[in-house]
Amino acid sequence: MKTSNNNSKVTSTVRFTDALKKFNSNWKHIMTKKSFVFLLALGICSGIFADTIKIVTTTTDMKSIAEFIGGNKVSVTSIATGYQNPHFVDPKPSYIISLTKANLFVTVGLDLETGWSPQLLSSSRNTKIQKGSAGYVDASEGVNLLQVPAAANRAEGDIHIYGNPHYWLDPINGKTIARNIANGLERVDPANKSFYEANLVAFNNKIDTKLKEWQGKMAGYKGSKIIAYHNEWVYFETRFGLQIVDFMEPKPGIPPTPSQLVKVIKEVTANKIKVIISSPYFTTSSSDVVAKQTGVKELTLATSVRAFDSVKDYFGLFDYNIDHLITVLK
Amino acid sequence: MNYITVSKYFVTIILLLVLVAMNNVCLSQVTADSTSKDSLLLKQIEEQMKTAPPPVAPQTRSSLSFNPDIGVIGDFRGSYISKGQRNFDLYLNETEVSLQAAVDPYARADFFLSFARNPETGEYGVEVEEGYLTTLSLPARLQLKVGKFRNAVGRINTVHPHALPFIDMPNAYVNYFGEEGLNDEGFSLSWLLPTKAFYQEIIFQTTSGYTESPAFARSEKNRLLYVSHLKNFFTINDDNTLELGLTGISGPNDSARVSNMAALDLTYKWKPVKLNTYHSLTWQSEFYFNHANLMDNFSVNSFGMYSFIQYQLAKRWFLTGRYDYGQKPFDKTLKENAFSLTAGWYATEFSKLEFETKTTDDNIDKRYYQAWLRWIFVIGAHGAHQY
Repeated sequence: MKTSNNNSKVTSTVRFTDALKKFNSNWKHIMTKKSFVFLLALGICSGIFADTIKIVTTTTDMKSIAEFIGGNKVSVTSIATGYQNPHFVDPKPSYIISLTKANLFVTVGLDLETGWSPQLLSSSRNTKIQKGSAGYVDASEGVNLLQVPAAANRAEGDIHIYGNPHYWLDPINGKTIARNIANGLERVDPANKSFYEANLVAFNNKIDTKLKEWQGKMAGYKGSKIIAYHNEWVYFETRFGLQIVDFMEPKPGIPPTPSQLVKVIKEVTANKIKVIISSPYFTTSSSDVVAKQTGVKELTLATSVRAFDSVKDYFGLFDYNIDHLITVLK
Repeated sequence: MNYITVSKYFVTIILLLVLVAMNNVCLSQVTADSTSKDSLLLKQIEEQMKTAPPPVAPQTRSSLSFNPDIGVIGDFRGSYISKGQRNFDLYLNETEVSLQAAVDPYARADFFLSFARNPETGEYGVEVEEGYLTTLSLPARLQLKVGKFRNAVGRINTVHPHALPFIDMPNAYVNYFGEEGLNDEGFSLSWLLPTKAFYQEIIFQTTSGYTESPAFARSEKNRLLYVSHLKNFFTINDDNTLELGLTGISGPNDSARVSNMAALDLTYKWKPVKLNTYHSLTWQSEFYFNHANLMDNFSVNSFGMYSFIQYQLAKRWFLTGRYDYGQKPFDKTLKENAFSLTAGWYATEFSKLEFETKTTDDNIDKRYYQAWLRWIFVIGAHGAHQY
């Protein structure tokens, strides 16, 4: 047996060297000038595509802004979908697959994702994107935070000790998010710094132009009183001059109670409130009751990019919300 | 203090006062503008846009201490059993204190201390339920864990009991691993396979055998406990997932010989992404096959399993039905069959109330009934649960 084995090994080696020789002679033949140039171009192209910076974001809003800043130099995936409650994303192991290869991780921060993203990060075995590493971007850095509690007490419901984390719903904060993402990209890919900076300027300019348009549209509805389901609109409310009178939830994260519904019904009637705003991930059963009693309209707004198919990017988010709000506030 | 220093302080104070005054003037101007006409709004926006975005200064948001995240979990219970002399009981089953933090850039540490009453002596005692270090920076997708930890057997062994959707542990699980489960001291090395289509992780563990379980015991000799687990996680689509796990255990038994076990776990989950806090369904089963060599030419092959379905009726309401079948690792003639039903009311992420009833039949004793009430409550930090 041994000898036959050795024999087959010898023959296979001979075959292999023969093939190699053939290949070499063919190769010389192929390597004409034209084909060399073609192959070189192919190599460079594939090199470019292979070197895209892989970004994983926790939410679709961060994904959209990262795409504006990174352009064709990045490929971005978001863990949460746009119609999902970002507090309660299930940390499926499948998300770890994309995290293991990521160059940059972008988080909304302020404990919004505390129930799921730390576990995914530590399971990713990717040292480049851990908190404190160059590839970790906390998009909230530098944001002027609202509703920072004076004391941390869970008797208040789901409060966030660092402040309200839904800050991306103010387009001015979009600029800070973009700056933080650009900083992150420049840390992991300094060669393309000028590219990212140029995209950042373009993004900021577009925010400026669009903000003028949005505020123009909302100008007539300044001070409009509304009811919201969950306390996640304070940045939007402040920027566009709305006034949220109360929430369907008696305390953040606590489902609506009968006594809260009675309170809301009284407030709607007293203040002639026209609309209750909610998000795709909350049921409308409780606001249906209020609507039936008072005739108030119900409106599900987009809390994130891709909440609805028509909300395609960060600008689309405000387009959708403002256009729909105006229709019901008229 | 000499004359020059005093004058220096004086000048600084004057300068500060001037600065504050100037600031006030500027502020009052802004308020005056904004309170004037609405038509100025657009002008203001334009002004705002001309100014560069605010410089991003790194903010300190973490608590200014290196104390670990501390959490305390209370597990209060009431119980009923239809056999024996004392049928009712009330007790604080366990108080678990968790301490978790990064050690340095290379590792993190997790400690879970358990305070509970010893059922035999009736006195309170403390034990380290888990205490381990996990590396964060090993190459090649490796992760090493050292210390005392719940061994990587199937699905429920790695979960702390307060996080399970039922109060008592499945019969088969208790028959092989005991109420506390397979929880031992040693090394655990896990490798994330480079599979792209689905999640695959393989874990190898070598532990010393301190675990108190009916199927495995600490060897007087140099024999250790070996566990390997292959986890396969498939995403069918956004709402449906499937997990298939294979476990192999080899270790000394209390006859100073070797027991080998193969286990299989299968979990299907339906959790609609959009309204995932309102409705969900989990169907989870584990099967244990044990081969215990007890004497020369004498071995016992035994089998045990459980299967449960948990359905979330509404945001706060969960219903779990479970079937158990169990033999003993050293006596396959004993056969246990049990059915249980648990209703859970999850007030918030930090407290839940559960009620379970259970009927057990075996081929030796007559049928008996059990019921439990459990209230779980958490204060302080509360880490994420595994999916």
